[in-house]
Amino acid sequence: MRVMIIVRANRNSEAGHMPGPDVLAQMQKFNDEVAAAGVLVGMGGLQPSANGKRVKASGGKRMILDGPFAETKELIAGYAIWEVASMDEAMEWVARFPDTGEDDEIEIRPMYDHGPCGHRAETAHAAKPIAAE
Amino acid sequence: MRVMVIVKASKDSEAGIMPGQKLLEDMGKYNEQLVKAGIMLAGDGLHPTSKAKRVRFSGDKRAVIDGPFSETKELIAGYWIWQVRSMEEAVEWVRRAPSPHPGSETEIEIRPVFEAEDFGKEFTPELRAQEDRIRAEIERKKS
Repeated sequence: MRVMIIVRANRNSEAGHMPGPDVLAQMQKFNDEVAAAGVLVGMGGLQPSANGKRVKASGGKRMILDGPFAETKELIAGYAIWEVASMDEAMEWVARFPDTGEDDEIEIRPMYDHGPCGHRAETAHAAKPIAAE
Repeated sequence: MRVMVIVKASKDSEAGIMPGQKLLEDMGKYNEQLVKAGIMLAGDGLHPTSKAKRVRFSGDKRAVIDGPFSETKELIAGYWIWQVRSMEEAVEWVRRAPSPHPGSETEIEIRPVFEAEDFGKEFTPELRAQEDRIRAEIERKKS
């Protein structure tokens, strides 16, 4: 099964404060381990919501809202996609997540495997060479 | 630049109600356009938070909290990762997306993803090398 690991925002991430060298190094070490175990499918850190936008769909209308968005604790600062045998395995990996010295909350959500989007993800991988990074 | 496009949850998505055929077809067409345009890197849907867990970190303590979580409008139901030239391009694509929760008001959030250069000199050559290794491992897993 695949799970999405959602790292919630906090005041520092929303202020655009980048992690210090110690936290960066610990985080990379952790990701290295997850990748070496064949668990890591994808990951990314998000810029503060001040750099973000929202599109609100209401009936046929589309309205654009500029960030920042206020509800810090419900915003997202980063994510990872893991391929694991069970939620328990995911929880074991999360338990090894490095201590950033801040109060953090991480959400673990199982993903739909054969939904419309699951298919799309496979197509997306096939299309990867076109989308140069 | 890469962006994460976040589809917020709705009462239906949190209740585990699956999209109808019409929405599946519309979304399929739309996703095909994204792939053809070369901007689609990933996209997935998430199970309701009744199947989720949260881990709260506070100092050395780790508290595990079982779902469901209540603040529906702030939860996530799905996401895409896109490779685009600008936020404007991303917004243009989102405008054309089928409403993921037809019949109810929906918000889709677009957030730029950090690239290695955003971390400045704190992201040492050693850490960059490690990052390259991690990305290579991910690619190997995909192929």
